[in-house]
Amino acid sequence: MLNIYYGNMKEAVYNTAAYFKYDYEDSWIVDPFVKEMIQDVDQSTVLDSGVIDSPVLGKIPPIGLSGGVKTLILVKFDKDKVFNVSTCGDNCAKWLLRIAESEDRTVNLLHLMDFGKESFAVRVLNTDQIVHSMEELVSIAGEFV
Amino acid sequence: MKGKHRIIVSTKRLKYDFELRRNLTIIRGDSATGKTTLVDMIREYVNNPSGTPVELVCDKKCYVLEGSLWKGQLGEISDSIVFIDEGNEFIRTEEFAGTIQKTDNYYVIVSRESLPTLPYSVEEIYGIRTSGKYGTLKQIYHEFYRLYGTNAYQREIMPEVIITEDSNSGYQFFKQICRENQLECETMNGKSNIFHYLNAHKDEKILVIADGAAFGSEMDRVQKLISDRKNMALYLPESFEWLILSSGILKKSTVMAVLHTPYDYVESEKYFSWERFFTAILINETKDTYLAYLKRKLNPVYLNDSAKEAILSQMTKIRLDWKINDQ
Repeated sequence: MLNIYYGNMKEAVYNTAAYFKYDYEDSWIVDPFVKEMIQDVDQSTVLDSGVIDSPVLGKIPPIGLSGGVKTLILVKFDKDKVFNVSTCGDNCAKWLLRIAESEDRTVNLLHLMDFGKESFAVRVLNTDQIVHSMEELVSIAGEFV
Repeated sequence: MKGKHRIIVSTKRLKYDFELRRNLTIIRGDSATGKTTLVDMIREYVNNPSGTPVELVCDKKCYVLEGSLWKGQLGEISDSIVFIDEGNEFIRTEEFAGTIQKTDNYYVIVSRESLPTLPYSVEEIYGIRTSGKYGTLKQIYHEFYRLYGTNAYQREIMPEVIITEDSNSGYQFFKQICRENQLECETMNGKSNIFHYLNAHKDEKILVIADGAAFGSEMDRVQKLISDRKNMALYLPESFEWLILSSGILKKSTVMAVLHTPYDYVESEKYFSWERFFTAILINETKDTYLAYLKRKLNPVYLNDSAKEAILSQMTKIRLDWKINDQ
């Protein structure tokens, strides 16, 4: 399940782009799940572990990916760290839920990410409540951002 | 700095074209829309003056502010446009808000956080979208779009309760209007309390009246809370003082000119938000007249029938007299 702490969290990595720069591994980029994620969010195609084809920027290295995708990759592979996922737009929300489908993940949010109209399960760590809709989530998490 | 400033920044592949009207502009929205790329291009242009493939056209100098030495860097920058990408923790601090308040720069900040220390307008929160405008030239064109519209209700708003963000003249005005119309009026003692009040009164018919000029930090969570609730609405004029100035009560053409293009008059170093500017204008323009305006205590003249009507007539789609007229 996706566990979210809303508001300032000292132990969370705030600048995820800087963290990604010296932390990512080649194998992460060519992971089929990550390839799909990069295609969906950045509309870019992974050519190999060091080259991604972006329709806007041309051939770019992994550090040239969007801030949102870089954070998603960290959340997926750096399981023991807590990352500030306010570097992710709403188009990353479904991927956060998918990453946390089979394994628990804890992330930090400083804004109200929109998880969409369909039902989902997210634990708000601030109050230890599990919510299933944006209406429930906004009502609880909105008090902390 | 004051005025409206157009920025065109481009490379062979990309082009951004946008205008800034106020000292604080916030960019947010989906990932991979080009927010960081915009800041990267400006950094590239600034750091490599002897040769860069980035072109930048603007009547002001542009800079990128980042890292732990931000305060020192800022000390060297004036009369310029300063871009700050996400990932810079200092933007959340009181120290940053206090420092930039004393500068004459405009700031463009990439962040999805609310940033409550910064009094930014609901009108200056943008996303970036790609337009096909330059598609045939194989250059992808990016433009800003407003994330929040203002006061665009199609239905009539008939509240039972009005809430205001503070207890100053605006609250005193609407308290009297509510009394006359058998409605309730409450002050929130700060805009950050509005969300909690709405959250705790989900079934009531509430109209929030707040200063749009500085409500940006609250807009996202309040908008998300009430977006599916027809019993709640937001009315966000620039400020109560703007509402009075716009009503025409003062009958001064100079005031109307200011209201038409405020950005040509608001000196950012002097006024951190437009709300403060409109207050200063109203106080100054009414000084030593029967309309003399005080922020803390409402001059009763603004509750005269003609003044009331002029002020309220601007609140289109909002019916405050529904209880006494429909009964």
